[in-house]
Amino acid sequence: MTRNFPVWPVLLILLVISLPLVIMYGYLALGTVTTTEPGELLPSGVTLENWRFLFDSSTAAGNIWAATFNTFVFAGSITLIVLTVSATGGYAVSRLNLPFRRFFLASILVMHAFPSVTLIIGVFLVLQFTGLYDTMIGVIAVKASLMLPFGIWIMKGFYDTVPWEIEMAGVQDGASRLTVWWRLLLPQVRPGLVALGLFAFLDGWGEYVLPRILAPTNDFRVLSIVLDLVGNPDRANYDFNLFKTVGVFYTLPVLVIFAFFQHRLMDIFGGGTKG
Amino acid sequence: MRSHTSKLGLLLVSPAIILLAIFFLTPALLTGVFSFTNMSSSTGISGGAWVITPNLLRELSDDGISPATIEALRDESYSVDEGSLAAARAAGVAAEFADEIASKLSGQRFASDSEFMSALKTLRTRPRRVRDLKLAMEPFTRSVLNIRFETEAAARLAIEQVVPDIDAGELERIVERSYTGWKWTSENYSKLFSSPETLRIVFNTVFYVAMTLAFNVLVGLFLAITTFYLPRRTGGFFSLIWLLPRITPVVLYAIMWKWFTWDDGFVAALAGQLGLPSFNYMKGSVPSAWTIVILVNGFIGASFGMILFSGALRAIPVQQLWASEVDGATRWQQVRHIILPQLRWPILFVTSYQTLSLLTSYQEIWLTTNGGPGNTTAVWALEAFRTALFNYSGSLQYGLGAAMALVLVAVGMVLSIIYLRLFRFDELVSKPKIEF
Amino acid sequence: MTILKKTTVLAVAGALLSGAASAAIAEDYTISVWAGGSGDESDYRVKAIEIAADLYEREAAIRGEEVNITVETQLFSGWDDFKQAVTLAAESGTAPNIIVSGHEDIGPWVQAGILRPVEDYVDFDAWPLNQLYENLIQVSSYDGKIWGIPQDAESRVFFFWREHLEAVGYSKEEIDALPKKVLDGEYTLYSMLDDVKKMQDAGLVEEAKGFMPRISNGPDYWQFYQSFGGEMVDEESGKLVFDKQALTDMYQFFVDAVDKGVVPATYLGGDWDTWHGAVSSGKAGAWHGGTWHYAQWTQKNGLDDFFGKIVYTLIPAGNERGRANAITHPLVYLLSNTGTDDDAALAAELVSIASEPRINALHAVKSSHLAIGREEINVPLYAESRWATEATENLLPHANALPNDADFGVVWTAMYKGLEASWTGVSSVADAVEAAEQSVVSALGDKVIVRDGGM
Repeated sequence: MTRNFPVWPVLLILLVISLPLVIMYGYLALGTVTTTEPGELLPSGVTLENWRFLFDSSTAAGNIWAATFNTFVFAGSITLIVLTVSATGGYAVSRLNLPFRRFFLASILVMHAFPSVTLIIGVFLVLQFTGLYDTMIGVIAVKASLMLPFGIWIMKGFYDTVPWEIEMAGVQDGASRLTVWWRLLLPQVRPGLVALGLFAFLDGWGEYVLPRILAPTNDFRVLSIVLDLVGNPDRANYDFNLFKTVGVFYTLPVLVIFAFFQHRLMDIFGGGTKG
Repeated sequence: MRSHTSKLGLLLVSPAIILLAIFFLTPALLTGVFSFTNMSSSTGISGGAWVITPNLLRELSDDGISPATIEALRDESYSVDEGSLAAARAAGVAAEFADEIASKLSGQRFASDSEFMSALKTLRTRPRRVRDLKLAMEPFTRSVLNIRFETEAAARLAIEQVVPDIDAGELERIVERSYTGWKWTSENYSKLFSSPETLRIVFNTVFYVAMTLAFNVLVGLFLAITTFYLPRRTGGFFSLIWLLPRITPVVLYAIMWKWFTWDDGFVAALAGQLGLPSFNYMKGSVPSAWTIVILVNGFIGASFGMILFSGALRAIPVQQLWASEVDGATRWQQVRHIILPQLRWPILFVTSYQTLSLLTSYQEIWLTTNGGPGNTTAVWALEAFRTALFNYSGSLQYGLGAAMALVLVAVGMVLSIIYLRLFRFDELVSKPKIEF
Repeated sequence: MTILKKTTVLAVAGALLSGAASAAIAEDYTISVWAGGSGDESDYRVKAIEIAADLYEREAAIRGEEVNITVETQLFSGWDDFKQAVTLAAESGTAPNIIVSGHEDIGPWVQAGILRPVEDYVDFDAWPLNQLYENLIQVSSYDGKIWGIPQDAESRVFFFWREHLEAVGYSKEEIDALPKKVLDGEYTLYSMLDDVKKMQDAGLVEEAKGFMPRISNGPDYWQFYQSFGGEMVDEESGKLVFDKQALTDMYQFFVDAVDKGVVPATYLGGDWDTWHGAVSSGKAGAWHGGTWHYAQWTQKNGLDDFFGKIVYTLIPAGNERGRANAITHPLVYLLSNTGTDDDAALAAELVSIASEPRINALHAVKSSHLAIGREEINVPLYAESRWATEATENLLPHANALPNDADFGVVWTAMYKGLEASWTGVSSVADAVEAAEQSVVSALGDKVIVRDGGM
């Protein structure tokens, strides 16, 4: 395309509106390896002291590797549940004849936009009845369920785009519908699965409110809770640079995933609708 | 083609239905039910008990229950006689101790707990632990005071034993008033409708949603169009920057904003060096607090619009743009006449989708201004959360909070139904393509 | 008599009384204890239980019993999430055996059936409970029963920066006499506003930083209500009181302070960190806080000569209706209904041991709280702490506590909402009082006495 417009003014505006982000993230990264006097804008020295929490569990961050492992298990389990249930459920609503299918689709669309966190007292009661309150399994189940409407809707969208000739051919070869789904359909919607999986993982990785409310004293501590503890200015040994460093550590996996799968994620961050 | 239910379909969809029913539908229904109760941290959630307390007796006597009844119910006396001794032995009080009580205290009456306790403490064979002593005292009294009766019948029976000739109406009233659990009420809603505070919060919410939405859509649009025209690398850099808030864990993101805006933070320090008013921008003034709240949420949401719009832009046939350039159209004319019309539906979609998510979002506000300064930036979802689950005095009003949540749910439902119509839901849910 | 059904009680009693002789086998217990609003400097709230458990095990060993107690502790830095966690955990039957919370929670939690009365388990006539201050035991009682054992006491204090007072014309002697003048009601809240205004005008403190009240909700604001003659409870009937005149005057006071320019309209909701830093370095002329903040300022913010730099008083009276006052907000050890009766009995025993002066002094001195009992002053650690002893003598006798009432939270929330609304100018003082009254009355009906005061 031709450049029949001046690039610089546009670039300048872009830069100005992006400035808060650039500064915040820039300083976040800078704060992890420098020391800064209070009230000063520029750092006063370089240090790796802030990263000591990685191998010294006596800092406010505690045993960071245990928490990291927990967060992996937490986000991983959520991903697994969301993927399996959405892959099957999405297929069913996309291709198979179900009673109340329209109603079901309409409801998941409504649930998708539901103020889910306002239901938390109800969620608490359900967990209490099932004996899952203050357990990580409970939090995982809740978090995964809250993501399901979204997941099913996305997967339905991906199944919808698969040409039905593929399925038809499989069925005419005598394979069962289940085999067709497993052998022919799933490979076709792999991009969707990957994107949804990544999205679910990232969402689980960053989750904060649910573990805090539904498993307040659980030993299975995830990083968001650890970060919140480290960032509490009421602590006697409160250290803002430590907070920043733990924060960067916490965000690194997200950035790595993002760097590798940017384009896949782009498809889904948009909410997954082909509006 | 005759359609029949697919068994496989039911099987495949059942895990989803089960999970949604347990963790989505049930809580939603429970919230609806709770909203018609006065449930709070003092009534408990799972039900109450029947307790007659000194405070209750005082209230009852103000309410005209006869003094004789009140007096009888207030009686805490302990008496050592044949009957109570037998009861004590039956309850397992050690024989030696029971014998000593019989020999030394028989026939006596003690007006209160502490009197009887001190009398027992003079006995040689008394149990060493206070707990055991207290349990041993139990059979010697018929007092109903401060006992938690788990069933209504038990409470009724106990009252009738203490006041045998009680008037039936009085008994009913006492039993009813002594219940500690929650009761059905529609007051939550009338309270919400009559409180002047409600109007203010509604106004705040509308303001917050409208402003953040405007920010999201306009900035999203701007980003999508500029990154579309910019060289690939430059464009990619900016889309990456703007995606960061969306993937940064909320705890970190919130504190970054705090750092950016608080007293010694970046903005204040910069403003100070430039000679501008330097203060805590997040909490120091109402306009600046609102600006921060809108930016905090806006920066997260802008990427949503950006991605959707970019997708739609890429779908525009490039030939159209080339053709317009050949015709000598400027960039602005191109945007105005070719791009924007094509983006009509994505814009509408982003607007409606974001309205819903903004209406129900509160995490970012909670972790940054927390509704401050002085509750000026509180929105409905945050108020509901704080009423039901999170406030300083610890008096959690589940019932009222549920009613507030339900209002939000109702608004959300209405909006989603409108959107479903708007986006031709029928097309989205058209019949499955093949069915055997 | 107890939390349990009578039949269960009898069964348990039988088991207890008959099986007492066969206690030779090792007994294993797990006692959990959670404390709210506690940071690193107040960790003895839970550590004291660990010490008590150790002592108990040793005593049992000498008696020839083998008791193994595992104490599980948890500190919550905030109050909001602590109270939420306790209420929800209690609802699901997993509350900790021992809860360390504010005494005002006794009312609602008793009604909800979360607590066991501690008086059923320990002897208040025996050491160490017999030396606890009577008024603190009162504070731990509700509806005729003692539900908790006081864990600490404190007082909320008004502070002035000496240097600034001197600079606006006070002599050293006058400053030393200030506490007396406040007590006598000669120096009022409005005199304070005038003085901090002078400090601002003289450039000693920045604009709108002369007066730095508490930045968030807390019992402190009830002190101002009392300064203007408000009462929280009607002594005669025991009912809650909503004094419109006092509330109006109190709201008006903060509005006046804003108008005078000594505090911003958008003050509430600030950051604790910033606040501590400011008040401990003379950036404010007058402020109010808690006795325990002493620990924060001297240990963390580097305030070296506390008594040389700061003079402290009661909260001054606001007008002739009110009086100089202070509120104490003791924390209490509470027994939850979790676990067996035996667990509760042991938990109560541990709490009782933890209340020994020597053990309690560890907490009191480390966190700058005040003694819970008469004998604590004889513990050298406590006696040597000038702040602890002075504050105990000068403030505690004038301090009262919030009412233990299941419904007080409702009045509290309404009071604070009105304060926020009028302070920020969102609504007028009259409207704020009106709205607060409406929400209190609609929630509590005739359980609350609305006083019109002088109006």
